[in-house]
Amino acid sequence: MMDKLAMNKPSMGKNSTQHKQAFDEPLWWGLFSAGGVCFAVFLPAVILFIAVLLPLGLLPAEALSYERASTLLFSVPGFLFVGAVVCLPLFHAAHRLRHGMFDISVGNDALNKKLMYGGAALLSIVALGLVVAGMLG
Amino acid sequence: MDKLSTQRLPPLKRNWWLKHRFFKLYMLREATVLPLVFFTLCLLAGMVALLQGADSWQGWIVFMGSPIVLLLNLLALAASLFHAATFFVLFPRVMPIRIAGHSLPDQAIVAGQWAGVVAVALLFFWLFGRA
Repeated sequence: MMDKLAMNKPSMGKNSTQHKQAFDEPLWWGLFSAGGVCFAVFLPAVILFIAVLLPLGLLPAEALSYERASTLLFSVPGFLFVGAVVCLPLFHAAHRLRHGMFDISVGNDALNKKLMYGGAALLSIVALGLVVAGMLG
Repeated sequence: MDKLSTQRLPPLKRNWWLKHRFFKLYMLREATVLPLVFFTLCLLAGMVALLQGADSWQGWIVFMGSPIVLLLNLLALAASLFHAATFFVLFPRVMPIRIAGHSLPDQAIVAGQWAGVVAVALLFFWLFGRA
Protein backbone atom coordinates (compact mmCIF):
# COMPACT_ATOMS: atom_id res chain seq x y z
CA MET A 1 0.00 0.00 0.00
CA MET A 2 2.71 2.41 1.00
CA ASP A 3 4.78 1.33 -1.99
CA LYS A 4 1.91 2.02 -4.29
CA LEU A 5 1.36 5.47 -2.83
CA ALA A 6 5.04 6.27 -3.13
CA MET A 7 5.03 5.09 -6.72
CA ASN A 8 2.00 7.11 -7.57
CA LYS A 9 3.25 10.22 -5.93
CA PRO A 10 5.51 11.55 -8.66
CA SER A 11 2.95 11.00 -11.37
CA MET A 12 0.21 12.46 -9.18
CA GLY A 13 2.39 15.47 -8.59
CA LYS A 14 2.81 15.85 -12.33
CA ASN A 15 -0.93 15.54 -12.86
CA SER A 16 -1.68 18.19 -10.29
CA THR A 17 0.63 20.69 -11.99
CA GLN A 18 -1.01 19.88 -15.31
CA HIS A 19 -4.39 20.57 -13.72
CA LYS A 20 -3.04 23.84 -12.44
CA GLN A 21 -1.88 24.84 -15.91
CA ALA A 22 -5.17 23.84 -17.48
CA PHE A 23 -7.00 26.08 -15.03
CA ASP A 24 -6.53 29.27 -17.02
CA GLU A 25 -7.12 27.80 -20.47
CA PRO A 26 -10.95 28.11 -20.38
CA LEU A 27 -10.44 31.83 -19.72
CA TRP A 28 -8.19 32.23 -22.80
CA TRP A 29 -10.57 30.21 -24.98
CA GLY A 30 -13.51 32.22 -23.65
CA LEU A 31 -11.79 35.51 -24.46
CA PHE A 32 -10.78 34.05 -27.85
CA SER A 33 -14.43 33.25 -28.66
CA ALA A 34 -15.79 36.55 -27.42
CA GLY A 35 -13.07 38.41 -29.31
CA GLY A 36 -13.76 36.32 -32.40
CA VAL A 37 -17.42 37.32 -32.39
CA CYS A 38 -16.48 41.00 -32.00
CA PHE A 39 -13.82 40.74 -34.73
CA ALA A 40 -16.37 39.19 -37.10
CA VAL A 41 -19.43 41.31 -36.30
CA PHE A 42 -18.03 44.77 -35.41
CA LEU A 43 -14.64 45.08 -37.09
CA PRO A 44 -15.75 45.04 -40.75
CA ALA A 45 -17.88 48.17 -40.21
CA VAL A 46 -15.34 49.82 -37.89
CA ILE A 47 -12.45 49.32 -40.33
CA LEU A 48 -14.56 50.38 -43.32
CA PHE A 49 -15.72 53.63 -41.74
CA ILE A 50 -12.72 54.66 -39.62
CA ALA A 51 -9.76 53.33 -41.61
CA VAL A 52 -11.06 53.52 -45.19
CA LEU A 53 -13.92 56.01 -45.68
CA LEU A 54 -12.66 58.58 -43.13
CA PRO A 55 -9.10 59.00 -44.50
CA LEU A 56 -10.40 58.94 -48.08
CA GLY A 57 -12.66 61.88 -47.22
CA LEU A 58 -15.80 59.95 -48.12
CA LEU A 59 -17.61 60.79 -44.87
CA PRO A 60 -19.45 64.08 -44.30
CA ALA A 61 -17.00 66.67 -42.94
CA GLU A 62 -18.54 66.82 -39.47
CA ALA A 63 -19.03 63.04 -39.12
CA LEU A 64 -15.78 62.51 -37.22
CA SER A 65 -14.64 66.06 -36.53
CA TYR A 66 -12.41 66.51 -33.48
CA GLU A 67 -15.39 67.64 -31.36
CA ARG A 68 -17.75 64.88 -32.46
CA ALA A 69 -15.11 62.13 -32.22
CA SER A 70 -14.18 63.29 -28.70
CA THR A 71 -17.81 63.38 -27.58
CA LEU A 72 -18.48 59.91 -28.99
CA LEU A 73 -15.32 58.21 -27.72
CA PHE A 74 -14.95 59.77 -24.28
CA SER A 75 -18.24 58.48 -22.93
CA VAL A 76 -19.70 55.31 -21.43
CA PRO A 77 -20.73 53.98 -24.87
CA GLY A 78 -17.20 54.86 -26.04
CA PHE A 79 -15.79 52.78 -23.19
CA LEU A 80 -17.94 49.81 -24.24
CA PHE A 81 -16.96 50.40 -27.88
CA VAL A 82 -13.26 50.14 -26.96
CA GLY A 83 -13.94 46.97 -24.95
CA ALA A 84 -15.66 45.31 -27.92
CA VAL A 85 -13.47 46.67 -30.72
CA VAL A 86 -10.02 46.84 -29.11
CA CYS A 87 -9.77 44.70 -25.94
CA LEU A 88 -11.63 41.49 -26.82
CA PRO A 89 -10.22 41.28 -30.39
CA LEU A 90 -6.74 41.79 -28.88
CA PHE A 91 -7.18 38.68 -26.74
CA HIS A 92 -8.50 36.84 -29.80
CA ALA A 93 -5.38 37.90 -31.71
CA ALA A 94 -3.10 36.97 -28.79
CA HIS A 95 -4.59 33.48 -28.71
CA ARG A 96 -4.22 32.93 -32.45
CA LEU A 97 -0.68 34.32 -32.47
CA ARG A 98 0.31 32.07 -29.57
CA HIS A 99 -1.09 28.98 -31.26
CA GLY A 100 0.24 30.03 -34.65
CA MET A 101 3.73 30.45 -33.21
CA PHE A 102 3.48 27.00 -31.69
CA ASP A 103 2.40 25.62 -35.08
CA ILE A 104 5.49 26.98 -36.82
CA SER A 105 7.78 26.25 -33.85
CA VAL A 106 8.66 29.84 -32.98
CA GLY A 107 9.85 30.49 -29.44
CA ASN A 108 8.57 28.42 -26.55
CA ASP A 109 4.92 28.25 -25.61
CA ALA A 110 5.31 29.09 -21.92
CA LEU A 111 7.01 32.38 -22.77
CA ASN A 112 4.83 33.13 -25.83
CA LYS A 113 1.77 32.68 -23.66
CA LYS A 114 2.96 35.29 -21.18
CA LEU A 115 4.05 37.69 -23.92
CA MET A 116 0.85 37.41 -25.99
CA TYR A 117 -1.76 37.55 -23.22
CA GLY A 118 0.37 40.02 -21.27
CA GLY A 119 0.62 42.26 -24.34
CA ALA A 120 -3.12 42.04 -24.96
CA ALA A 121 -3.84 42.89 -21.32
CA LEU A 122 -1.39 45.81 -21.34
CA LEU A 123 -2.79 47.34 -24.56
CA SER A 124 -6.34 46.81 -23.27
CA ILE A 125 -5.57 48.71 -20.09
CA VAL A 126 -3.93 51.50 -22.12
CA ALA A 127 -6.97 51.71 -24.44
CA LEU A 128 -9.53 51.80 -21.65
CA GLY A 129 -7.30 54.18 -19.68
CA LEU A 130 -7.26 56.58 -22.66
CA VAL A 131 -11.07 56.66 -22.68
CA VAL A 132 -11.17 57.28 -18.92
CA ALA A 133 -8.51 60.01 -19.26
CA GLY A 134 -10.63 61.65 -21.98
CA MET A 135 -13.75 61.45 -19.83
CA LEU A 136 -11.95 63.09 -16.89
CA GLY A 137 -10.10 65.68 -18.96
CA MET B 1 -3.85 21.79 -22.27
CA ASP B 2 -0.19 22.44 -21.97
CA LYS B 3 1.69 22.05 -25.18
CA LEU B 4 3.69 19.01 -24.21
CA SER B 5 2.82 16.99 -27.31
CA THR B 6 6.22 17.76 -28.85
CA GLN B 7 7.75 15.60 -26.13
CA ARG B 8 5.76 12.61 -27.32
CA LEU B 9 5.62 13.12 -31.07
CA PRO B 10 8.52 13.67 -33.48
CA PRO B 11 8.83 17.43 -34.04
CA LEU B 12 7.10 18.73 -37.15
CA LYS B 13 8.96 20.75 -39.73
CA ARG B 14 7.99 24.40 -39.86
CA ASN B 15 6.50 24.09 -43.32
CA TRP B 16 4.21 21.16 -42.55
CA TRP B 17 1.14 23.26 -43.27
CA LEU B 18 2.24 24.10 -46.82
CA LYS B 19 1.60 20.54 -47.95
CA HIS B 20 -2.17 20.56 -47.90
CA ARG B 21 -4.78 23.13 -48.95
CA PHE B 22 -6.77 22.61 -45.75
CA PHE B 23 -3.79 23.50 -43.58
CA LYS B 24 -2.89 26.45 -45.78
CA LEU B 25 -6.39 27.83 -45.25
CA TYR B 26 -6.00 27.15 -41.53
CA MET B 27 -2.79 29.17 -41.45
CA LEU B 28 -4.38 31.94 -43.51
CA ARG B 29 -7.18 32.11 -40.95
CA GLU B 30 -4.62 32.26 -38.13
CA ALA B 31 -2.88 35.07 -40.03
CA THR B 32 -6.04 37.21 -40.21
CA VAL B 33 -5.08 38.59 -36.81
CA LEU B 34 -1.87 40.18 -38.16
CA PRO B 35 -3.60 43.02 -40.06
CA LEU B 36 -6.13 43.17 -37.20
CA VAL B 37 -3.30 43.95 -34.77
CA PHE B 38 -2.03 46.61 -37.19
CA PHE B 39 -5.47 48.24 -37.33
CA THR B 40 -5.80 48.06 -33.53
CA LEU B 41 -2.45 49.82 -33.09
CA CYS B 42 -3.61 52.50 -35.58
CA LEU B 43 -6.81 52.92 -33.58
CA LEU B 44 -4.85 53.27 -30.33
CA ALA B 45 -2.67 55.94 -31.97
CA GLY B 46 -5.89 57.69 -33.04
CA MET B 47 -7.17 57.64 -29.47
CA VAL B 48 -3.92 59.19 -28.24
CA ALA B 49 -4.19 61.83 -30.98
CA LEU B 50 -7.77 62.59 -30.03
CA LEU B 51 -6.69 63.07 -26.43
CA GLN B 52 -3.89 65.43 -27.52
CA GLY B 53 -6.09 67.85 -29.43
CA ALA B 54 -7.60 68.90 -32.77
CA ASP B 55 -4.28 69.25 -34.63
CA SER B 56 -3.09 65.78 -33.63
CA TRP B 57 -6.47 64.34 -34.65
CA GLN B 58 -6.20 65.90 -38.14
CA GLY B 59 -2.62 64.64 -38.35
CA TRP B 60 -3.80 61.13 -37.51
CA ILE B 61 -6.42 61.22 -40.29
CA VAL B 62 -3.69 62.25 -42.76
CA PHE B 63 -1.52 59.38 -41.46
CA MET B 64 -4.43 56.95 -41.97
CA GLY B 65 -4.68 58.14 -45.57
CA SER B 66 -1.07 57.35 -46.47
CA PRO B 67 -0.99 54.61 -49.11
CA ILE B 68 0.71 51.86 -47.10
CA VAL B 69 -1.47 52.38 -44.02
CA LEU B 70 -4.59 52.46 -46.19
CA LEU B 71 -3.50 49.30 -48.00
CA LEU B 72 -2.81 47.42 -44.75
CA ASN B 73 -6.17 48.51 -43.37
CA LEU B 74 -7.93 47.35 -46.54
CA LEU B 75 -6.17 44.04 -45.93
CA ALA B 76 -7.54 44.13 -42.37
CA LEU B 77 -11.04 44.71 -43.75
CA ALA B 78 -10.69 41.70 -46.06
CA ALA B 79 -9.22 39.67 -43.17
CA SER B 80 -12.15 40.55 -40.91
CA LEU B 81 -14.61 39.35 -43.56
CA PHE B 82 -12.65 36.14 -44.17
CA HIS B 83 -12.47 35.58 -40.43
CA ALA B 84 -16.23 36.17 -40.20
CA ALA B 85 -16.90 33.63 -42.95
CA THR B 86 -14.85 30.98 -41.12
CA PHE B 87 -16.08 31.90 -37.63
CA PHE B 88 -19.81 32.02 -38.35
CA VAL B 89 -19.94 28.42 -39.59
CA LEU B 90 -18.45 27.29 -36.26
CA PHE B 91 -21.32 28.68 -34.21
CA PRO B 92 -24.01 26.12 -35.17
CA ARG B 93 -21.48 23.34 -34.59
CA VAL B 94 -20.43 24.56 -31.15
CA MET B 95 -23.87 25.69 -30.02
CA PRO B 96 -26.78 24.22 -32.02
CA ILE B 97 -29.94 26.22 -31.41
CA ARG B 98 -33.21 24.38 -30.87
CA ILE B 99 -36.51 26.18 -30.89
CA ALA B 100 -39.66 24.32 -29.83
CA GLY B 101 -37.96 20.96 -30.36
CA HIS B 102 -36.77 21.77 -33.88
CA SER B 103 -33.11 22.52 -34.46
CA LEU B 104 -32.53 25.68 -36.39
CA PRO B 105 -30.82 24.95 -39.73
CA ASP B 106 -27.11 25.81 -39.82
CA GLN B 107 -27.62 28.20 -42.72
CA ALA B 108 -30.15 30.19 -40.69
CA ILE B 109 -27.65 30.70 -37.84
CA VAL B 110 -24.90 31.69 -40.29
CA ALA B 111 -27.27 34.08 -42.08
CA GLY B 112 -28.32 35.56 -38.75
CA GLN B 113 -24.71 36.40 -37.94
CA TRP B 114 -24.17 38.03 -41.34
CA ALA B 115 -27.32 40.03 -40.63
CA GLY B 116 -25.51 41.18 -37.47
CA VAL B 117 -22.57 42.41 -39.58
CA VAL B 118 -24.96 44.32 -41.84
CA ALA B 119 -26.82 45.75 -38.83
CA VAL B 120 -23.57 47.09 -37.34
CA ALA B 121 -22.63 48.60 -40.72
CA LEU B 122 -26.06 50.27 -40.91
CA LEU B 123 -25.60 51.62 -37.38
CA PHE B 124 -22.28 53.12 -38.46
CA PHE B 125 -23.92 54.58 -41.55
CA TRP B 126 -26.60 56.13 -39.34
CA LEU B 127 -23.90 57.57 -37.04
CA PHE B 128 -21.39 58.78 -39.64
CA GLY B 129 -22.84 58.51 -43.11
CA ARG B 130 -25.35 61.31 -43.11
CA ALA B 131 -24.41 64.86 -44.00
